[in-house]
Amino acid sequence: MQRRIFLAGLIAIGLGPARAEARRFRIALANLDERPGVTLEGLGFTGADVRHSFELAARTLPVDMVYFDNRGDPARAVANAAAAIAAKVDLLVEYNADREANAEIARRLAAAKIPALALVHPLPGAPLYGPDNRTAGEIAGRALGGFALETWSGQQVRGVLIGDLAAPGPAVRDRVQGIGEGVQPSLPGLKFASLDTGGQSVRADALLTNFLRTDPDQKLLIATLDDLAAVYAVRAIEMNRRQSDCVIVSQGLDSSIHGGVSEKKEIDPNNRSSVVLGSVAYYMDRYGHEVLPLALRLIGGETLPPRIATRHKLVTEANVFEEYPPIDMN
Amino acid sequence: MRMAGFAASMGIAALSLFAYAPAAAAADCKALVAPSPFGPNDQVGATNRVTSAVTKAAAAEIKTGVVTSMAYPLVDGIPLFGTRFTKTVLTSFATMPGAEFGSNKLSYMEDTYLSQSHVGTHIDGMGHIGIQDCYYNQTPMGKYITQNGLKKFGIEHIKTFATRGVIIDVVKVFQAAGKLKPNPACKRPCLDGGTIISEDDLKAGLKMYNVTLREADAVFINTGWGDLFEQFPAQNATYNRAEPGISAAAAKWLASQKVVVVGADTWAVEVIPGEEEGIAFPVHKTLITDNGIHIIENVQTQPIADVAAKSGRATFFLSMTVPKAVGLTGTFVNIEAIQ
Repeated sequence: MQRRIFLAGLIAIGLGPARAEARRFRIALANLDERPGVTLEGLGFTGADVRHSFELAARTLPVDMVYFDNRGDPARAVANAAAAIAAKVDLLVEYNADREANAEIARRLAAAKIPALALVHPLPGAPLYGPDNRTAGEIAGRALGGFALETWSGQQVRGVLIGDLAAPGPAVRDRVQGIGEGVQPSLPGLKFASLDTGGQSVRADALLTNFLRTDPDQKLLIATLDDLAAVYAVRAIEMNRRQSDCVIVSQGLDSSIHGGVSEKKEIDPNNRSSVVLGSVAYYMDRYGHEVLPLALRLIGGETLPPRIATRHKLVTEANVFEEYPPIDMN
Repeated sequence: MRMAGFAASMGIAALSLFAYAPAAAAADCKALVAPSPFGPNDQVGATNRVTSAVTKAAAAEIKTGVVTSMAYPLVDGIPLFGTRFTKTVLTSFATMPGAEFGSNKLSYMEDTYLSQSHVGTHIDGMGHIGIQDCYYNQTPMGKYITQNGLKKFGIEHIKTFATRGVIIDVVKVFQAAGKLKPNPACKRPCLDGGTIISEDDLKAGLKMYNVTLREADAVFINTGWGDLFEQFPAQNATYNRAEPGISAAAAKWLASQKVVVVGADTWAVEVIPGEEEGIAFPVHKTLITDNGIHIIENVQTQPIADVAAKSGRATFFLSMTVPKAVGLTGTFVNIEAIQ
């Protein structure tokens, strides 16, 4: 549907099918960090996920992609932008977290008259596409609060927050704030215990196990800040046989929780006994499909809103196959 | 008066709802699935097109008598889709003393075949794919499903595949166009997973051998991806994770050519990941559900593609029969190309 709207837009701005075939555009993606094992924005997605989404999206568009890996290094990001400018690309999609480097990149792009689109982190003068972390947090909070009202009405309930909480960046702070705000209408004054994984999601297992042993009676609303933490929290809950006392809503909806080919699927219609109620989708593995049509509109001379947010959604076993159809049809 | 009028109007509304309900259910399938080209009661699908004249014309493809196998061996360890399984259990009476028959000590062996039907080189029937409850010929399938099989669209309704086969070597098309990227997982040239095969690619492949598709043809596409199947089990995960395949538009074009079956050396024939995020298996829907055209997956296409490259002939007589297995949605098949 979105593609149809996009194609209609192309025609409207004079890039109808015939002309779109005649002219192809070179778009560069300077990715945040593609090193193996590095996850992005406190979620479970990797730079490879982001890049792959651009590779897939470009297949059906009049676009030839040029890829750069900023490797989380501001100096390299500036050098990559310079290389993109030297290659005379039609547009640069910049995914870099460093404010000063982004200011320099914006200055160089403006001098070269090359338009840019910023991913997740602002680039002066460029439209920004990225998550709405507070809204995503609110969705999780509302889901937890609603579950408690419906299932544990009148019972003592406590909140637990699991994630990389020691030195949270603005994105994580916004998510945590959103979770708190989302749960308040249902459970005013609910307190959250914080279990800090220090960025190692595997620690969620041990941390939650210790917590469950010190708090054996209460019902627990668990908000995990990444899906892998949710998976390890599930293990702790099952090992301690507390399935009837716990529910989890996570952030991200990466493949660790909705599954890939023949992998275990925690959120799955066939896994109705899971304590994972759902995960809020960030669709970082679909950025290419969202961003490249925007990039073409920008190249076509259209003015985009300064801030375009990802469409977040709570994905549960009821709609996971609509959002991520399993290619193995399980 | 007002109450009576209200009640009367409610009564009409209620009646209208009841009267409308069955029609609404039928209308859903008419909206979701195209009508069959073979009439509203058809259960056969595209093999309706294989007439005596078609078979006779296809027989003219047999010139040398050379037979090329197009099926992979069915053996433990081959890549299986999702949770599918296949296993044979041998019952050997020969090794049981005293179990022999007669004074001549006749012994025998049999197998128990524990397998799902959509494994190895296999064909998809009309009962395989739908949208919600709506299957081939705009049929709401719920009332035709039993625990032991389908009461409609089972593969026993298939007529015959005694028709002309055509191999389209897309690897050669991509090589000729200079767009074949190296794939280190494949031992011989192959398209990469996620590569879209367009209508133009198919036409280029046909033009390469001066072939024009005709009604009732069986089309097979060589992508090179079958190389990964042949490396089983080493490359099973890679094989299943993605695949090159035809686009939704290419499937519609093939349907417009009135072919009876589309096969490929991949596990789904269509490009995976798909062209449009969130849309599952659109080519399956176009071919099977909307047009009654069968799909054959995991076809060993490379040998016949090699023969075509050497002989310059990309057409053959298709030798393939399907068991009259009542109520099945598909089955493994053996395929031979006779030239």
